[in-house]
Amino acid sequence: MTSGASTRGEWAILWRAIPTLWRVAVAGIVAYRAEMVIWILSATLPLVMLALWDAASAAGPLSGFGQAEFARYFAITMVVRQLTGSWVVWELNQAVRSGSLSPQLLRPVHPLVYNFFETLAAIPWRLVVLVPLLGALVAWRPEILIVADGWFVPEGWRMALFLPSVALAFAVAWLVQALFGMLAFWFEEAVGVFSVHFAIWSFFSGYIVPMALLPPAVAGAARWLPFYASLGVPVDVLLGTAGPVEVWAQLGWVVALAVVGRVMWARGIRRYGAVGA
Amino acid sequence: MIISVSGLSKTYRVPIKGEGLAGSFRSLWNRQYRDVEAVKEISFAIQGGERVGFLGPNGAGKTTTLKMLSGLLFPTAGTVSVGGFRPQDRAVAFLGGITLVMGQKQQLLWDLPPQESFALNRAMYGVPQAEYRRTLDQLVAMLRIEPILQKPVRNLSLGERMKCELVAALLHRPRVLFLDEPTIGLDVEMQGQVRRFIQEYNRDTGATVILTSHYMQDIAALTPRLLVIDKGSLRYDGGLAALAERVAPERRIVVKGGPAELSQLGFVVVGGDHVATVTPEQTNQRLAAVLGRWPMVEIAVESPPLEEVMARYFKEGTT
Repeated sequence: MTSGASTRGEWAILWRAIPTLWRVAVAGIVAYRAEMVIWILSATLPLVMLALWDAASAAGPLSGFGQAEFARYFAITMVVRQLTGSWVVWELNQAVRSGSLSPQLLRPVHPLVYNFFETLAAIPWRLVVLVPLLGALVAWRPEILIVADGWFVPEGWRMALFLPSVALAFAVAWLVQALFGMLAFWFEEAVGVFSVHFAIWSFFSGYIVPMALLPPAVAGAARWLPFYASLGVPVDVLLGTAGPVEVWAQLGWVVALAVVGRVMWARGIRRYGAVGA
Repeated sequence: MIISVSGLSKTYRVPIKGEGLAGSFRSLWNRQYRDVEAVKEISFAIQGGERVGFLGPNGAGKTTTLKMLSGLLFPTAGTVSVGGFRPQDRAVAFLGGITLVMGQKQQLLWDLPPQESFALNRAMYGVPQAEYRRTLDQLVAMLRIEPILQKPVRNLSLGERMKCELVAALLHRPRVLFLDEPTIGLDVEMQGQVRRFIQEYNRDTGATVILTSHYMQDIAALTPRLLVIDKGSLRYDGGLAALAERVAPERRIVVKGGPAELSQLGFVVVGGDHVATVTPEQTNQRLAAVLGRWPMVEIAVESPPLEEVMARYFKEGTT
């Protein structure tokens, strides 16, 4: 068959499509302004945790974490959480259940690739929420920026490693959500299963408790799990309690999850018709 | 030959769930399945440029067949080839050459103007800008949707939305169109517009059109060739006129009003008119008999309506 698509490869099309995917995704985000409010709310959980730990550490530091350390930790956690958030589990579950996946499957760009770009397109809008929140937090707790011997400035290599580590955390978080979303090919409760995962994730990712405060045996294992790879690693890279080894582990998870995802997708799509295509 | 289908079957495994809460719990531990044969060993071939209609009652397997042809469903058995591709592989070159329009599902982005969906499809199909502009202008003119291109899709009427769906589906100039009930829910005027458009598109581009519909008018107006699918099997493959001639060959002679004596010629009164049902061979003779005695009556010869033909045909299958 002759057409525009047949003369070029999939990747060539995708590469040239990126500006438009991005532009349309941004237009979509703007159309869903109401969701911004929800992001603002979900962005505040690290602040709630900060308030709790702040009270808990009022009498003295816990495992080396005083009030300033907690404030710094949850400020950075809030930033990383905002930059790595996605919603592909809900989107995929809905698309499979309602059959709206069908038209997406017939376009030359993979539905998940499109979702990936949509998720990336949301990041600038998340920053719009994040920057004022962060400003308010620093105003409330200026000690975030101050350490014993002056300003809090991480070593150069840590700052350089922070960004790739955030990118990898984003990829791990997105891939994990996509895998849970793919469960919708088999079960009706994909989102429910994800919620159970979220509870475990909150505990082992560093979202509600810093890795350093977990019992050493637990922390020793949790350090190498995907929960931590999807949030805690970049935070700890900046704070000095994680390094290149943990970032390599993140990369390992990205590869492993992508491989599992490919296999799951190929199998799920064969079952797709049985649900609601 | 652009499409060839041989021994195509699709069996769904459907979980059996007991009624009520107890049933739900039972099926958690001990899930039982039954097999539903949606499509059974269908074979046919379609030449490039043909317009073919899939017809059948609800649940006959029309849409399942269409979805296997477009690559959405994996066949349980048999082979399908569309333009030399195995549809379920969904190769980029295959996807670039086909389109599927579903009257009940949409691909347009709900909260954005249709233009954005068009731009997105242009990018995803890798259509060069100049070609895109040309095709878009042409489609917009054919469907007269210029004024609605800037409105969010959610504010469009069903008919306007369907027209935009068609544009989105055709921007990459597919060679094969799969249309699953493209006129469902549209008013008569809009149905006519969509039909005319499909016809023009087929004429201008030589694209192959395969269509399912519940509306006999769609089939009568659009598809010279008919594939009747009933309970998953292919029952008929040929022209509509030939099928009607076979299933319901009789003619109706209708005399508007008319004198009571018409009953002597075998006429009965239906809603104030006199109606006689005759074989095609008897038609001329009976007409001559009526007009010989009452030269001034208003008289018409009708074939049974297509809906009736099909209803009778499907009933035939069950007895």
